[in-house]
Amino acid sequence: MDSEISNNPVLQEVLNTLEIDRKKIASTYTVCYTVFGIAALLIVGGLLIGAATVAIILSLIPIIVGIVMLFQIDGDAQKYKVAYKMNVVATALKKINESLTFVPQSGLTEGEFIDSDLFTTEPDRYKTQDLISGTVDKTSFSFAEVHAEYKTETQTKNGTRTEWHTIFKGIIFVADFNKNFTVSTVVRPKSFGNTVGAWFSKNIFSFGNTEIVQLENTNFDNQFVTYSRNQIEARYILTPAMMERILDLNNKSDETISLSFISSKMYIAFPLSNNYFEAPIHTSLLVPDLLTDDLSIVQFMHDIVHELDLNTRIWGKG
Amino acid sequence: MFVILPILILFIFLWIFYYNSLIGKRNQVTNAFSAIDVMLKKRFDLIPNLVEIVKQYTDYEQSILTKIVELRAKATSGSISDTEKASLDAELSTTVRGLMVNVENYPDLKANASFTNLQTTWTESEEQIAAARRTYNAVVTDFNNAIMMFPGNLFAGMLSYTPIEVLATAEEERKNISAKELFNR
Repeated sequence: MDSEISNNPVLQEVLNTLEIDRKKIASTYTVCYTVFGIAALLIVGGLLIGAATVAIILSLIPIIVGIVMLFQIDGDAQKYKVAYKMNVVATALKKINESLTFVPQSGLTEGEFIDSDLFTTEPDRYKTQDLISGTVDKTSFSFAEVHAEYKTETQTKNGTRTEWHTIFKGIIFVADFNKNFTVSTVVRPKSFGNTVGAWFSKNIFSFGNTEIVQLENTNFDNQFVTYSRNQIEARYILTPAMMERILDLNNKSDETISLSFISSKMYIAFPLSNNYFEAPIHTSLLVPDLLTDDLSIVQFMHDIVHELDLNTRIWGKG
Repeated sequence: MFVILPILILFIFLWIFYYNSLIGKRNQVTNAFSAIDVMLKKRFDLIPNLVEIVKQYTDYEQSILTKIVELRAKATSGSISDTEKASLDAELSTTVRGLMVNVENYPDLKANASFTNLQTTWTESEEQIAAARRTYNAVVTDFNNAIMMFPGNLFAGMLSYTPIEVLATAEEERKNISAKELFNR
């Protein structure tokens, strides 16, 4: 991706300007940490020589100075981060596909996350950002970073203890699907719970009207459990070729993906631990591999449309 | 007596459970086949229109058109078995696919909107039938497993259930339909 930046004088110019801001912010942070370090040393030294009160009072000066500096730079840091996303990331995306747009404050709404049916647990805390949308030929798609969590509360002798657990952290990809369908089909990774549930509902008793779809591709069936209310429609979507393509896509991601086909759209959840598209503070903006990770994830998402052959529109859906 | 009674009750429950589940599986097979049937009928209904349109534009595809009409007449005659119908459909499908490839020689026909519409509907029905056939095969396999494994095999004899043959999947159905191949663009 080195050439992406060096070949683009506008981007190079923006990066040079932003680098000045970054250096200022980074050095302020360094000063703040040093000041806090001095305060800590003062306290420790005071405790050692038995003058704790004096030391604490003395250390208050650097602590206050440090906090004031942090507050002052915070506004600049926020501005710098937004400017990086809007001027650097958004511009670099156009190299992949001219139609790509980037809205850092937007994402996949919580309602859509729940409706996508990718996960069975409803989130209690939901964060989303960095929405990228575009069109490849006839297929429009978008993807965003999502972090969804649920909480558990346990009663202890000291009161209620709240713990947060991650339902999903990563990128959710949404695309217009090329076939018409009426009911939803969900493909989830095969976990122990899913396997037991699937066996139970197939052999003993099925809850609700969602059925397990047993597919003839054993590789696919070993990796995923497929649920749908319509066995034929599920197979209409998951053709033998589509299953192979999904398996290929799954092999390219570190953790097992989940997919759902709902109201003429397809959703794919990619669990990822990295936070993408963030401006670096303590490393230079002028390094050649600055955007390598970010752009490769965008390229990956962009290529899904081709990889899953979503542009083939011969099934009566324009 | 107190020991035998719970065992007897458990046995009766298991008996009811297996008996019902086998009947359920058999009904699923019937159901899956009728789904194929509905889709086949939908597809057979497309043929008269297809033949009419192609006739208007070509003089040279008569033999292929006659074959299609004959196959359709045979398939909808009502006097044939389910498996025969399925194999007739496979033959019909291959023949129509051949016709679609020949269409390349008739630019006027290719440009006709009703023909393109029919082509799309035909492809869609191909994939739907393929899906229905795969569903049928899945429920048949499930049924066959149930009646051949213990204790289902005990009930199978009682109900005189025998294994059902799965439908052979045409090689073309295993592949995904490629727009390039079909429309020869």
